[in-house]
Amino acid sequence: MEHLVLPNSGLTRDDEGSKLGMWLFLYTEVLLFGGLFIVYTMYRYLYPDSFLQGSYHLSIPIGTINTIVLLTSSLTVAMGITALQKGNNKLAVWLMVATMFFALVFMVNKYFEWSAKIEHGLFPGMDAYMQLPRGETLFFFLYFFMTGLHALHIVVGAVLIGVVTMEIKNGKQSSTNFAFTENAGLYWHLVDLIWIFLFPLFYLIH
Amino acid sequence: MNSPASNFVEGVDFSLWFILGISTFFLVGITAVMIYFVIKYRRSKNPKATNIEGSNLAEITWTVIPTILVLFMFWYGWTGYEPMLKAPEGAIEIEAHGQMWSWWFVYPNGKRSDSLVIPIDKPVKLNLVSHDVIHSLYIPAFRVKQDLMPGKDNWMWFEGKRLGSYDIYCAEYCGERHSYMLSKVNVMPEADYEKWFNEKTTAPADEHPGLTVLKTNGCLACHSLDGSKLVGPSFKGLWGKTETVLTDGNERECEVDENYIRESVFEPNKDVVKGFGKGLMISYKETLGEKEIQDIIGYFKTLK
Amino acid sequence: MTEEITGHKNFFEEKKGLASWIFTTDHKRIALLYLYSIGFFFLAAVFLGFLLRLELIAPGKTIMEPQTYNQIFTLHGVIMIFLFIIPGIPAIFGNFFIPIIIGTDDVAFPRINLVSWYLYMTGAFLALGTLFFGEGPADTGWTFYAPYSVKTGTNVSMSVLAAFILGFSSILTGLNFIVTIHRLRASGMTWFRMPLMAWSTYATSWIQILATPIVGITLLMIVAERSFGIGLFDPSLGGDPILYQHLFWIYSHPAVYVMILPAMGVISEIIPTFAHRTIFGYKAIAMSSMAIAFTGYFVWAHHMFTTGLSSTAALIFSLATFFVAIPTAIKIFNWVATLYKGSIDVKPPLLYAMAFVFLFLIGGLTGLVNGAIAADIHVHDTTFIVGHFHYTMFGGVGIVFFGAMHYWFPKIWGKMYNFKIANIAFALIFIGFNALYFPMLISGLQGLPRRYYDYPAEFQLTNVISTVGSWILIVGMILMIYNFFRAKKRGEKAPRNPWGGLGLEWQTPSPPPLHNFDKMPELVEGGPYNYKDNY
Ligand code: HEA
Ligand code: HEA
Ligand code: CUA
Ligand SMILES: [Cu+2]
Repeated sequence: MEHLVLPNSGLTRDDEGSKLGMWLFLYTEVLLFGGLFIVYTMYRYLYPDSFLQGSYHLSIPIGTINTIVLLTSSLTVAMGITALQKGNNKLAVWLMVATMFFALVFMVNKYFEWSAKIEHGLFPGMDAYMQLPRGETLFFFLYFFMTGLHALHIVVGAVLIGVVTMEIKNGKQSSTNFAFTENAGLYWHLVDLIWIFLFPLFYLIH
Repeated sequence: MNSPASNFVEGVDFSLWFILGISTFFLVGITAVMIYFVIKYRRSKNPKATNIEGSNLAEITWTVIPTILVLFMFWYGWTGYEPMLKAPEGAIEIEAHGQMWSWWFVYPNGKRSDSLVIPIDKPVKLNLVSHDVIHSLYIPAFRVKQDLMPGKDNWMWFEGKRLGSYDIYCAEYCGERHSYMLSKVNVMPEADYEKWFNEKTTAPADEHPGLTVLKTNGCLACHSLDGSKLVGPSFKGLWGKTETVLTDGNERECEVDENYIRESVFEPNKDVVKGFGKGLMISYKETLGEKEIQDIIGYFKTLK
Repeated sequence: MTEEITGHKNFFEEKKGLASWIFTTDHKRIALLYLYSIGFFFLAAVFLGFLLRLELIAPGKTIMEPQTYNQIFTLHGVIMIFLFIIPGIPAIFGNFFIPIIIGTDDVAFPRINLVSWYLYMTGAFLALGTLFFGEGPADTGWTFYAPYSVKTGTNVSMSVLAAFILGFSSILTGLNFIVTIHRLRASGMTWFRMPLMAWSTYATSWIQILATPIVGITLLMIVAERSFGIGLFDPSLGGDPILYQHLFWIYSHPAVYVMILPAMGVISEIIPTFAHRTIFGYKAIAMSSMAIAFTGYFVWAHHMFTTGLSSTAALIFSLATFFVAIPTAIKIFNWVATLYKGSIDVKPPLLYAMAFVFLFLIGGLTGLVNGAIAADIHVHDTTFIVGHFHYTMFGGVGIVFFGAMHYWFPKIWGKMYNFKIANIAFALIFIGFNALYFPMLISGLQGLPRRYYDYPAEFQLTNVISTVGSWILIVGMILMIYNFFRAKKRGEKAPRNPWGGLGLEWQTPSPPPLHNFDKMPELVEGGPYNYKDNY
């Protein structure tokens, strides 16, 4: 049956609309972490010494490497989008694969970092953790909770970029239709941005 | 009407009735106008409507008038509250303790009581101590209420202005027997208060010292003496019995002996009797000494 | 009347079968999916409310143990808040009508819309799942205050997780509406020609997006705290229970406006339709929605006056609370003024709108009592608060929900219900409602705390009246629901525009075709409620 098609149909493609949606979603993500930053700030204020002690347990080199890795991945994803817009799909695919590779590097690093802590029994509920003074337990809890939540976002972002890569390969995303790629890129920048906050808060402030 | 029961009644009630008065006026007024319009302009009477898009004058009027009114409401709410913020110098300081689900009060001379006794016309400051979760000490007749925040030094003050005995409720939800967390405040003439204050023992002379310990520490809010099941196991027939307990999720059998009792009091959440909730009882390691434990055990032996 | 006999199939007839419903991306079908699921959970919670009232008919034990009572009022509150009243109007009537009244054929992200429903169902099953898993439903109250919520043995984690997932669903719905309203308005429908229902949904969506993530993360922290014993909010481990309350109310206060704003939008549709005249003060109503959404962020600590808040904070939050009342007052005055010199059809939807004004006035005005610090010290955590929030939530939002059902029923199903039964049901609901909740205001002023399983004998009279009120209310409700089912089965066929409304939804057949319109929708000249003399 024929249907009336309205000029302002919700069923047709609307790149501007999906970008607006993505921005709004990113905003909620910022607020999600915002809640945690409030808690962090409050306990840092209450237990400045313990937080200091806690931060000495974290390895600045690993944190720095991961920061560089993420910043580079933000660069590759941005370059990938530009390549796609210019019609260079092949390069775009490679840049996206590079981004996912960096995500993997980040996660592997994270894995070693976490398992070292867990070996020392610093995971919430473990023995060494229970022996820590009050403020430090909060520090480690927040450390695991916030970097864990962030790592989850890395995984989601990497999967998204994987999907984008497939779509570029089979032509669904192209120089005339790149809204999805752009949105995945935005998401990835957000993940990066959050790390830029987490890194100094947990590793650097001494 | 009775004279106010505390020094805060007037301030609180004034703000309350001031707001309720204005509210009633608006409620009745708006409802009446609405019904009047609906009747007057009903279809059969007024088949043709007049379109009026709005009026700036009207909008301003009904923005400004309510704004002025709420500022007054705010002001009386504040002035009724402000005196509660500063306890006068020299107020009698009493500790008010709350714990699931009982109250007790500790006086400057160390005297303990499960109800609050205060002299009339004298400022009293309660330092609020919670031993587990949040409770809230509420005396409706005095119009006062303040939360007992674990880990935080909250306090409240008031002056009893009328002789008599008034209810104390726990107003913050605190678990199973929240509605049974009750006590009384007795406002006495000063002389009677002095006499009460200086009396040595609160317990009747023939009371078993173990029972006194149980009473003053709030144990009986959760454990019955007659075999009925409350939040914790009953004390009746407990001594010498074999209990099935859960230790870290594993069931095992345990005889109730001296050690068992001591452990249950000091580390209540280590072995939890099957069928009862974990995490509900606090440790009494800091509160009870060896003598009290022995008193309790002595008392249990009498509860066959 | 010839226009009704077009060859179009309506959206019910377009496709059949279960799969055509549970995999649909049509906003109208998703709306109905929501209606049936929300309606079901609502009835479950109503039944729990009924049990609460039975228990309270006499002091001491009547039908259940204290622990059961505590679990029931928590589950009642959780279902009512997270499963009924927050999603209620936006997810059902917003989903169905927002695209139609702005003249488009679907929401901006139809698939995400369906995902929201699945998230909603997941959350709902988790919430109800607490009945069957672990140590039973949470017994903390819907506020989950720490440290009690960390200590209790009941299944708090699952309830809290449910609330988290429901929050996610609510964020996606809000996001969808914002983009829809920004991008898909019919040409010529400028912001100030948008129906007020769209305005209030727009304001609501912003609150959902801005406040929900905070409570989401807070609730996750409760789960973590229970699983690992961290002590974030447990003072015996160095945490701060007051921090929890701040984080909770930063969301949950704005959430009360998430509940009420869509209801106000519906009222702004119903009143001009039945008065057959332009709404009074369109801009004032539209802008006051945004003002409520904005101011609503700065009042959260009025739930915490007795926690030992600093005096400056108490002062500021009390003052802000009073300011948030002003935009609401403006709306009420404008609605009443809309009746002035109208040509008023007293039909069931209008009766509900009038009941709303009266009941919500009581709810709002008792809110002013709570906002005054001195008065709140006395009434905080008493049944006065219980009265306040049932008057605002049930008397405000719930009643409008029923009004909306009566208003749009003919459009959704294309059938007309029986007015006489509707009026009788309305009368019973109105009487029962007041008998149920007004006594709570009185016993609250006398000092009866809330969440009390047992109470001193002097409070029995008010409690008995309440309980009897709940019976009257329930009879009225059953009659109302019966009337709907009856109409669906054998009601008369409803025309396109049974009420003479001007919204775009009345220009399309009842029920609407799959893509909403069978001819280009025509905007009313001037404003959205510009009644011409032709009706
Ligand atoms: C739909 C939900 C809803 C709505 C709309 C409101 C609206 C308001 N609420 Fe309510 N509230 C709740 C739901 C809601 N509330 C819930 C669920 C709780 C309890 C949570 C819990 O603890 O479980 C609560 C608790 C609550 C408290 C905490 C009480 C306590 O625990 O001690 C306070 C305190 O200030 C408050 C205030 C207000 C105010 C000032 C408004 C205002 O927005 C009302 C504005 C409306 C009017 C004022 C009426 C119209 C005015 C006129 C016609 C003009 C005449 C008036 C003037 C002179 C100004 N509410
Ligand atoms: C929208 C919110 C809402 C609604 C509608 C209700 C409805 C009811 N509530 Fe509500 N209640 C809450 C939200 C709500 N409640 C909240 C948030 C709390 C606080 C919990 C806490 O403290 O943590 C609470 C607490 C609460 C208490 C206080 C418990 C205590 O503090 O000790 C009581 C006691 O009487 C009570 C009673 C009732 C009753 C009898 C009903 C109703 O059952 C009245 C009868 C209603 C009906 C019979 C309606 C039937 C309607 C239909 C069948 C229509 C369906 C139609 C379609 C879908 C088409 N409730
Ligand atoms: Cu203690 Cu409620
Ligand atoms: Cu509020």
